[in-house]
Amino acid sequence: MTATANPERPRLGVFKLTSCDGCQLTLLDCEDELLLLAATIDIVHFPEGVSPARSEGPFDLAIIEGSVSTAEQLQEVKQIRSQSRVLVTIGACATSGGIQALRNFVSGEEDGFDEFRKAVYARPEYVDSLATSTPVSQHVAVDFELRGCPIDKRQLLELITAYLRGRTPAIKNESVCFECKRRGTVCVVVTDNTPCLGPVTHAGCGAICPAFRRGCYGCFGPRESAATESLATQMKNIGRSEQEILRSFRLFTAASPEFEKESKRHE
Amino acid sequence: MVDSGTQVHKSMPRSGLETLLSVLSQEGYRLVGPTISEGAIVFDDIATTKDLPIGWTDRQSPGRYRLEKSGDDRAFGFVVGPHSWKQFLFPAKETLHQATYDESAGMWRQSDDHTVATAFIGVRACDLAGIGIQDRVFIGGKYVDQGYHNRRHSHFIVAVNCLQAGDLCFCDSMGTGPEVKSGFDICLTELDSTFLVQAGSERGDSIVAQLPLAAASQDEHKALLTGLAQCRQSMGRQLDTENIEGLLFGNLEHPQWEDVSERCLACGNCTMVCPTCFCYSVDEVADLGDDPPQRERSWDSCFSQQHSKINGATFQPAIKDRYRQWLTHKLASWQSQFGTSGCVGCGRCIAWCPVGIDLTEEVAAIRVGAEEPVSMPACETVTIAPATEQDAGESTTPIFATTEATVAGVVTEAPKVATLALTMPVGYDYQPGQFNMLSLPGIGEVPISVSGDSDGAFEHTIHSVGNVSEALNGLEPGSTLGVRGPYGSSWPMALARSRPVTVIAGGLGLAPLRGVIRRLLEQAESGSRNGDTEWLRLIYGARHPEALLFTRELEQWRKNPAFRVAVTVDQSTSGWTGNVGTVITFLSRKRIPVESLYLVCGPEVMMLAVVRVLLDAQVPPEHIYLSMERNMKCAAGHCGRCQYGPYFICKDGPVLGYDKLSFLFGKRGF
Repeated sequence: MTATANPERPRLGVFKLTSCDGCQLTLLDCEDELLLLAATIDIVHFPEGVSPARSEGPFDLAIIEGSVSTAEQLQEVKQIRSQSRVLVTIGACATSGGIQALRNFVSGEEDGFDEFRKAVYARPEYVDSLATSTPVSQHVAVDFELRGCPIDKRQLLELITAYLRGRTPAIKNESVCFECKRRGTVCVVVTDNTPCLGPVTHAGCGAICPAFRRGCYGCFGPRESAATESLATQMKNIGRSEQEILRSFRLFTAASPEFEKESKRHE
Repeated sequence: MVDSGTQVHKSMPRSGLETLLSVLSQEGYRLVGPTISEGAIVFDDIATTKDLPIGWTDRQSPGRYRLEKSGDDRAFGFVVGPHSWKQFLFPAKETLHQATYDESAGMWRQSDDHTVATAFIGVRACDLAGIGIQDRVFIGGKYVDQGYHNRRHSHFIVAVNCLQAGDLCFCDSMGTGPEVKSGFDICLTELDSTFLVQAGSERGDSIVAQLPLAAASQDEHKALLTGLAQCRQSMGRQLDTENIEGLLFGNLEHPQWEDVSERCLACGNCTMVCPTCFCYSVDEVADLGDDPPQRERSWDSCFSQQHSKINGATFQPAIKDRYRQWLTHKLASWQSQFGTSGCVGCGRCIAWCPVGIDLTEEVAAIRVGAEEPVSMPACETVTIAPATEQDAGESTTPIFATTEATVAGVVTEAPKVATLALTMPVGYDYQPGQFNMLSLPGIGEVPISVSGDSDGAFEHTIHSVGNVSEALNGLEPGSTLGVRGPYGSSWPMALARSRPVTVIAGGLGLAPLRGVIRRLLEQAESGSRNGDTEWLRLIYGARHPEALLFTRELEQWRKNPAFRVAVTVDQSTSGWTGNVGTVITFLSRKRIPVESLYLVCGPEVMMLAVVRVLLDAQVPPEHIYLSMERNMKCAAGHCGRCQYGPYFICKDGPVLGYDKLSFLFGKRGF
């Protein structure tokens, strides 16, 4: 796909920081809607899907995937912010620090971060990164955070459409249980004692896992009013060990404040 | 239901159940009944009795549900599962309408209704009561939910008497079961080797006539009566409902609310499985292409933050607030609203709560160390027995029916505040205090009070606080928008005619009061207040001089000798020579006539302080009127979002006498 400049249409920029690209791929995964999207907006910068990349602003809508993990990225997010009218972040990395934020839990320890680097990379000395992985909103003002690991295609389209039309995105901040019940799924906690983070997790995925009789892994991160302590007690009551509870909360959105606090209770 | 005169039990062999299903199927009904899926008995499409959970039963406890072999071959040997019939009558997601303007009909086109006549197989007495309760909500009042109405009228109900109670059942306490008494087409009672069959409607009669029936024996009758009696005695739970409305509202600060909030996940499961919970949200959903935007509704719950959110703030921020809202509504204020409890005693909310919170235990705990019950204000209750047969809805208004208005003029009042004068559809009229729902396709809909009318146009003063209000304020003369209304209560004009009136407004609160002032001045011109001096007073405050509304009109009002106008600002700016200070400081310094009628509108904290000053000055509560604001989406008392104790602010409010509000006003979390 190639992009042609059109001054009439809103300018979209899609940026990537530290991440796996899965959320950006969701945009390409839009297939049917992608042509409509390309006809409605001017995709100015989207290295994953469009060439050539033109990172010069201004942008009417900037979408950032990935966490702030290096000193360069710290500068980059400030640069993007200054060039963008609306800035939204997408995915668990950009909104909470992602799985790579597991290193945040050892960043205070001596050589803790090095241990992580050695475990992951063959030549750790080539890796120059910050000791913590953080969400974009920790560094610049963000207009909307779209959750998920990866994000949900329908929600991404809703977000873009809403900004194009000047409407508030119809994206709910309720628990996954709402979506489970709306689709008629039978609760895995109540029938099977399956550990499930649904009650404390932000909705948006459509409650996929429980529909396949698996508990929610919390990929969309904590919802508002996440009652993690009560849920952890319930997990304990159904026989889960402290280690299992810790690991449940320390996953894709481990560094989100609510999940971080809960996992630390079980260290 | 029509009394068919055949409400006697007949005996049917077990094989007759298969006949019943096939007769219903031949009559064109889709069959939905209990079936096993995902480790539970759920409601789904069925074709034959083989699909039923024959030989299975359920064992339930708080937060736990298990299926077991029952050791017999009963088809209905269980109680209730995670599903209720609500999902078929009030679907979890539904398109309300597409924003296509129908020129010939003069309104936005409603969504096409795809009702498929469905037979519900195995409706228990508690669930029948649940359906009856939702009937009151959706088709029992002034506004009719057309989709619900159509489904309700086309569906056929095969009810089943419960002869065994579950561990979480308490229908006996709620007076809803276990015996099926009315509201069904056919009622079955499953005995050891036969069914008892009873028709409850003409439709039921015609189906029953095709079944292999014989006269019921004395033993069969006796088995029914002993079965029901045993069921009543073996209820797993009990709930003491004695004066429960006054009890819960009299104990809003009971320590048990704190206790339960430490366990409650606010996950919303209890409300989703409840057969009566009816709250829903309404969202604009638009495609990128040229397809018209749609308005969709989906089940919502008082456990979501967005449920009580307006202008970026939420009225129920804490889990404690949300649980208390749910329980006080379900068991208490529901009585005032609908003349019945919102609980049918099915026990679903106990079983399907992941942490096993049991409302019967919570109420029992609140009764321990409880304060005196409060007496509830009289409410306008929806008690109409809904006409579930044919013609309901003809004398009522379809909810969400939106017509088109044109912007006749725009006046900028203050930064981010503008008044749109709208040319409304023919025949439109309103009373001061009422509001309209204004909408822009693809952007959304908001409630806006009517701030007056002049030259045939109706004025709406709008503060840009969100996307919709901002877009509305960006409209130019000649543009069109969607409008439905007027809704809600109005200021007490009859009371205002016979006594002095004091209008107290803060900020944008002058908008819904301007219409009252204009009407009172018009009436005075016609001579009704001859000789009275200063019978009308206005105390109006804004944050700063630039935020004052209707400044030119304020000047005109000042020239009227009978009208005493006082304007004050919290913070002055250069050039301001008027009063400085809040409305409260100003009011406290003035004489407060006891005989005056007080009409108050402004931020809730301001109204609270005003009410305190007025009550201290011995003004009777019934002479103080407030205009309230909550999250209004449907404007018909259906979506549940604007609940305030026993009121729906959209329907019973926004204007309410303080005598009706005093028991709750100022309590945080409502």
